Amino acid sequence: MAGTGHAPLRDDPNVLLAVRDLEVEFPVGRGAVVHAVSGISFDVAEGETLGIVGESGCGKSTVAKSIIRLNEIKAGSVDYQGHDLAKLEGEPLRKVRPDLQMIFQDPISSLNPRRKIRDVISEGLAVWGDEHGTWSQDRIEELMLAVGIDPKFGDRRPHQFSGGQCQRIGIARALALDPKVMICDEPVSALDVSVQAQVLNLLEDMKQRYGLTLLFISHDLSVVKNVSDRIIVMYLGKACEIGDADELYENPRHPYTRALLASIPEPAPTVDPSDGDIDGELPSPINPPKGCRFNTRCQHTTDICFTDEPKMQRVGELDHYFACHHPVEISVGL
Amino acid sequence: MSEPQLSVRDLTVRFPTTRGVVQALNGVNFDLEKGQMLGIVGESGSGKSVTAKTLMNLLPRTAEIEGDVIFEGRDVRKLAADGTQHFWGVEMTMVFQDPMTSLNPVKKCGEQIAETLRYHLGRTKKEAIEEAVDLLGQVGLPEPAKRVDQYPHELSGGLRQRVVIAMALACQPSLLIADEPTTAVDVTVQRHILNLLDRLREERGMSMILITHDLGVARGRCDDIAVMYAGRIVERSATETLFSDSRHPYTDALLRSIPRIDQPSHTRLEPIPGRPPELINPPVRCAYSPRCRFAQPDCLSAIPDVHGVRGMHEFACFHPANTDRGREALAANVAAGKTAAGLPIAGYAGGGG
Repeated sequence: MAGTGHAPLRDDPNVLLAVRDLEVEFPVGRGAVVHAVSGISFDVAEGETLGIVGESGCGKSTVAKSIIRLNEIKAGSVDYQGHDLAKLEGEPLRKVRPDLQMIFQDPISSLNPRRKIRDVISEGLAVWGDEHGTWSQDRIEELMLAVGIDPKFGDRRPHQFSGGQCQRIGIARALALDPKVMICDEPVSALDVSVQAQVLNLLEDMKQRYGLTLLFISHDLSVVKNVSDRIIVMYLGKACEIGDADELYENPRHPYTRALLASIPEPAPTVDPSDGDIDGELPSPINPPKGCRFNTRCQHTTDICFTDEPKMQRVGELDHYFACHHPVEISVGL
Repeated sequence: MSEPQLSVRDLTVRFPTTRGVVQALNGVNFDLEKGQMLGIVGESGSGKSVTAKTLMNLLPRTAEIEGDVIFEGRDVRKLAADGTQHFWGVEMTMVFQDPMTSLNPVKKCGEQIAETLRYHLGRTKKEAIEEAVDLLGQVGLPEPAKRVDQYPHELSGGLRQRVVIAMALACQPSLLIADEPTTAVDVTVQRHILNLLDRLREERGMSMILITHDLGVARGRCDDIAVMYAGRIVERSATETLFSDSRHPYTDALLRSIPRIDQPSHTRLEPIPGRPPELINPPVRCAYSPRCRFAQPDCLSAIPDVHGVRGMHEFACFHPANTDRGREALAANVAAGKTAAGLPIAGYAGGGG
């Protein structure tokens, strides 16, 4: 479970955002640190949706927050249109930020309860203006219509809307500044299933309409597959496997990916139910295991897994990379 | 057929609030055979948890309850009125969603389990702690002898949920109600917890009600599934029948709206339009009709009764999906471009069309 190594980084002019060797640590007192993200590299091409999956505590939200600098970055770089977001400070950082917007898990608590939703949506514009430095109420109404909220409710406050509607308002707010990249951190996990599909379809529509690049974080493997072009599977601050969404689910190579796919209530047909028999729980990120970080729970470990960290390697010529000493062999044509 | 272990008849629950009376349950009927696992599936506000809390006598005093709950020949609501002890927590127990808030943070795990045994079964402190160690072993906690002396915050979410399960099993219940037992945990842990509940149910011949919003969880584990909507059970059948041959348009739409792992990425989802209804002063009509693609004029003027064979496949709908009546209704709506409730429809392939 390494994810060290730049194999998954593509040499492609369409790459919009490239994260290299990102490391994030949080001090927890007495000199101890939580190794939240420990050297992860990936990129996102323009117009692509990158899904990030993993169990809670694997660092997926930390990766997202690091990109928009909501937490300190210890090492590594985040290349975006010639800037290294990890190093930017002050005015240059402020200037880039409208390009990168985020929507959050809890749609209700991410809106200020005391403000009218019209003002919630327009706040970014009030600070920045549109491309001409001005903005009008028409723009707000257009955004509300785009996300399916009737503009006549603009003077209402967040508590007068349901969870699904609040998430739509959150999406409108994120769209207001015409961002390039939208980071969605578990945007549908707080919603009921019947509303979840509405919001997922809306995100897909907005992506087409506004030419967005999405980073989509979720613990729900089916949801991630549905929205993503490419997927990263994370475990304890490292990437296990990266690849094209359909290919990754069709031919999962990393034992952890297989374990996840076998653990969901209706397991993927491409894995064996016994792949889900992983022991115990996530080890502490304060003292992560040496070698491969998955070695405490893996069924396939040998000596090397406890000493050497596996490097990312490519599967043939496919858009599919994994970091494991003992990948599960796929017999072609099975 | 023998008497069912649990029989719920015309259960109605209302909560008076400052905004009006909330009709939380509106005539819920179901039976549970001994040793069976019933899944209750529905969205938030559909009444799943209120049903569980009514069975467990946990509703606030302000709740107005009507209807009958008969458990092994006894009237549960009468037991509640008589102030009966040693019934809830002994014969009928419950596991809650959030294992952090259902454990006392300032008491050791072992003591919390022992408390149940001492109060209900009159064990001495020493006996109770020994039994607690044994129970923790049974629910698969590593090093149970050490865990009894730990506090809940020292355990992970999955282990805490096992402690809660051990507590619920302490007095050998014959019915266990699990309300979203795995919603707060990761998929790998979820699998362990559900396997554990399955195993315990088999070993002990216990019946279970599994409440969940996740159809996938219910499908893998339950004998029967009841789908709730707006305080009623709208469809109930054997699990596989529900997934292969659903009748209620809500069940049908729910199954279509969920992303499936075997579909290629970017498969367009079919969401359910609109949102769940208000439960204050609901109009006399099928509660699902404003969102239903099958809705006809009769759906807007009366509440459909439960059709079908009791105990086999029951559903409350005038124009059920996957039947001729349903197909006719859908065809008429597609031709008109909208349903009787005014919902525009176009290009909908679902429901046995």
